[in-house]
Amino acid sequence: MSLAAYAERFERFAAALPEAERAARRAQLQRFVADGFPTPRLEEWHYTDLAPLSQRAFEPAAGGNAALAPHFLAGTDRLVYVGGMLVSADSTAPERHSAAAPAQDEGVYALNAAFARDGLLLRLGRGERLPRPLQVLIAGADGAVAAMTHQRHRIELAENTEATVIFQFLNQGGGGLATHVIDVRLAPGARLNLFRIQDERADATLLTRCDVRQERDSVLHAVSFDCGGGLVRHDLNILLAEAGAETGLYGLYQPAAGAHLDNHTRIVHAAPQCRSREQFKGIVDARARAIFNGKVVVQAGAQKTDSEQRVANLLLSPKAEVNAKPELEIYADDVKCAHGATVGQLDETALEYLRSRGVPPAEARALLLRAFATEVLDHVPLAPLRAALAARLGLAGTDAWELEA
Amino acid sequence: MASQPQDIHELMRRREYSAGFVTAIESDTVPPGLSEDVIRMISARKQEPEWLLEFRLKAYRRWLRMEEPKWAHVHHPPIDYQAISYYSQPKSFKDGPKSLDEVDPKLLETYKKLGIPLKEQEMLAGVAVDVVFDSVSVATTFKKKLAEAGVIFCPISEAVREHPELVRKYLGSVVPFGDNFYAALNSAVFTDGSFVYIPKGVRCPMELSTYFRINERNTGQFERTLIVAEEGSQVSYLEGCTAPQRDENQLHAAVVELVALDDAQIKYSTVQNWYPGDEQGRGGIYNFVTKRGDCRGKRSKISWTQVETGSAITWKYPSCILRGDDSVGEFYSVALTHHRQQADTGTKMIHVGRNTRSTIVSKGISAGEGQQSYRGLVRVLESADNARNYTQCDSLLIGDRCGAHTFPYTEVRNPSARLEHEATTSKIAEDQLYYCRARGIGEEEAVSMIVNGFCKEVFKELPMEFAVEAGKLLAVSLEGAVG
Repeated sequence: MSLAAYAERFERFAAALPEAERAARRAQLQRFVADGFPTPRLEEWHYTDLAPLSQRAFEPAAGGNAALAPHFLAGTDRLVYVGGMLVSADSTAPERHSAAAPAQDEGVYALNAAFARDGLLLRLGRGERLPRPLQVLIAGADGAVAAMTHQRHRIELAENTEATVIFQFLNQGGGGLATHVIDVRLAPGARLNLFRIQDERADATLLTRCDVRQERDSVLHAVSFDCGGGLVRHDLNILLAEAGAETGLYGLYQPAAGAHLDNHTRIVHAAPQCRSREQFKGIVDARARAIFNGKVVVQAGAQKTDSEQRVANLLLSPKAEVNAKPELEIYADDVKCAHGATVGQLDETALEYLRSRGVPPAEARALLLRAFATEVLDHVPLAPLRAALAARLGLAGTDAWELEA
Repeated sequence: MASQPQDIHELMRRREYSAGFVTAIESDTVPPGLSEDVIRMISARKQEPEWLLEFRLKAYRRWLRMEEPKWAHVHHPPIDYQAISYYSQPKSFKDGPKSLDEVDPKLLETYKKLGIPLKEQEMLAGVAVDVVFDSVSVATTFKKKLAEAGVIFCPISEAVREHPELVRKYLGSVVPFGDNFYAALNSAVFTDGSFVYIPKGVRCPMELSTYFRINERNTGQFERTLIVAEEGSQVSYLEGCTAPQRDENQLHAAVVELVALDDAQIKYSTVQNWYPGDEQGRGGIYNFVTKRGDCRGKRSKISWTQVETGSAITWKYPSCILRGDDSVGEFYSVALTHHRQQADTGTKMIHVGRNTRSTIVSKGISAGEGQQSYRGLVRVLESADNARNYTQCDSLLIGDRCGAHTFPYTEVRNPSARLEHEATTSKIAEDQLYYCRARGIGEEEAVSMIVNGFCKEVFKELPMEFAVEAGKLLAVSLEGAVG
């Protein structure tokens, strides 16, 4: 094992840090060395093996250049990070960038805590409303060698606030490793629309985790899109801590050829009268591997929980693979919980119907795929973002999306 | 989390004590502990051939390197495998109570509720009965009829002696000796179980059941069952008893292997009601079982039906490997946990052949402080064109201190596969209860009716008389769950 290589990189990295931070970060590095990279022996990592990473060495990334202008969304404010560093010239909301709070974590995220660089800090005071959506673009530097980037982000919304944040992960080049932790706290009545768009290169490894704590009557609306390659794991952990909180998680994954894509969600109903909705859809083709693991936990006392979880997959190639696991763990009796999972193909009858009406096979297929994906795309109210996504996913046509855009 | 406050060592000690009852020859009881010597001794006692001893030793050596599985959603104190005695003479009738007067009245009450005939009650409670016991003659008649059809149905140790070529060919071919921790332990130390062989084209003339094999009454902790259905044959096998047996044994690690060749059909039904422990979770059986069927032939079919109401902890996943083209696997299950019982049960359907189909219907009922998990896997391999699976698992919660959990795994590598999984969890609907109450039906009876309706889809898969008993069993097991 060459975890020692990470320790050695850390000492060089730590030399540039203020004295006060070093001890805490070193403790995190030691935690990581003790835990190691997760292997499939851990139930939570059953389908994703990170052990090969221990045989590789990454240099901590230190900025760089990338041409990101085509990804800028109209009508939004922006923070741009390349190689873990803020690109001030491209960022229109630099005041939202801040020092990462020291964090304690475990497993592979202890590695993140040891090396974490600054990231987004969005704090809204009581009753405040973020005037424009905030786009956070996170990319690797052009032509970079195998580098590693670790960042922590934080969103704290006080009572009765509202914000829209778009995280975009792009092009971590050169076989790099990136880890990101997004910490979200929603005070009573706060509402957050959170979008995550992942479009990685085939040789990248991206690990992201988003932890959300929701208080009374807060609302989270989170939509996630995966369309790139590489080895990608996303963990979305929601704690419904107080009564009346509501969460809706939606996702569409269309991994590129050769990609390994692992989406894990965990919703914990810790208080009564909370509501959760979850819908993930996968279009899996050409040697891609997609994993969806959705867990809903209803703790003792969380009566009147209303939870529904759906995952549907289209498996389109003999080389593709889908692993789906919707889990329920329930310790209260007065609850309504349901989940469903399907794996299938495009409906032959529907294809035949379209063909019989003169629609060419390729177009008929595209039409059905679009119908399948629309259910998730419809959860994106921002027109420019929706149009960009439709185009990227190859689902754009002469229909409402483009007209709106 | 409901952990088991019982002292396992104490229970183990009690077991040793009961083994000490054996009066025959003192050396017939092996002292507690497991080693190669113990395995050699078991094998020698049973006059086994060399290859079987090798099989046991290989399994034991593998087991030594294995770790107890931790992934199941159950909690129990560590098991001391060196505190178990791995071989003891089957309990003799003479050692049991002399008449029903000496039997625990609570147990008798249960028998009465289940409507079990007096003679059978005596048998279940282990009362010493005359040699002229009804079932003995019954069993003999059955044996004759089976022999005429060419069906072999005997203890596995007898099969090792009488039909070594068959046993050697199939033993461990479905559940390899190193399959998992408990299967490896079983492979090393199994003492008995059943062997069934149905020849080509034969439809077994009757339901086979461990009931009839009274010489096998005390099947012990490490049963091994092997059923082979040759081309075009059919058999229905019933395992277990419908009334609770007081059994101090702690750990049951059984292995069941089914092999279905071309066009063969095996139906395996279990009604399991081992001692579940008392209200406080003291005592009870740890039921850690590996059951697997291999649809080796084309158009073969294996169907598992289980009603699991007993045991302190159940850990079992009857599975089907759908290897033959057009083969079919089925799993129907009702599992009930009450008081402090824990169950982690489900199935695995591995689709290998083309046009294979599987159906899973699982009904979990949790009451008191019971914890219930459905854990299932549906895997479609690249070769399995047009595989089809339908899974439904429903959970019913009775009371606010129990738990119901669902862990369904689906792994698909073939784009022509079609899989559906549906799960719901809810409590008994208030309006249904209210409706029953309004018509003068007592609350407990109403709950029992609703639960029976909830389980109907599974019960209809059971042979008729067992379906009736299973229904009663649920009602008895749920006593005190409401109100």
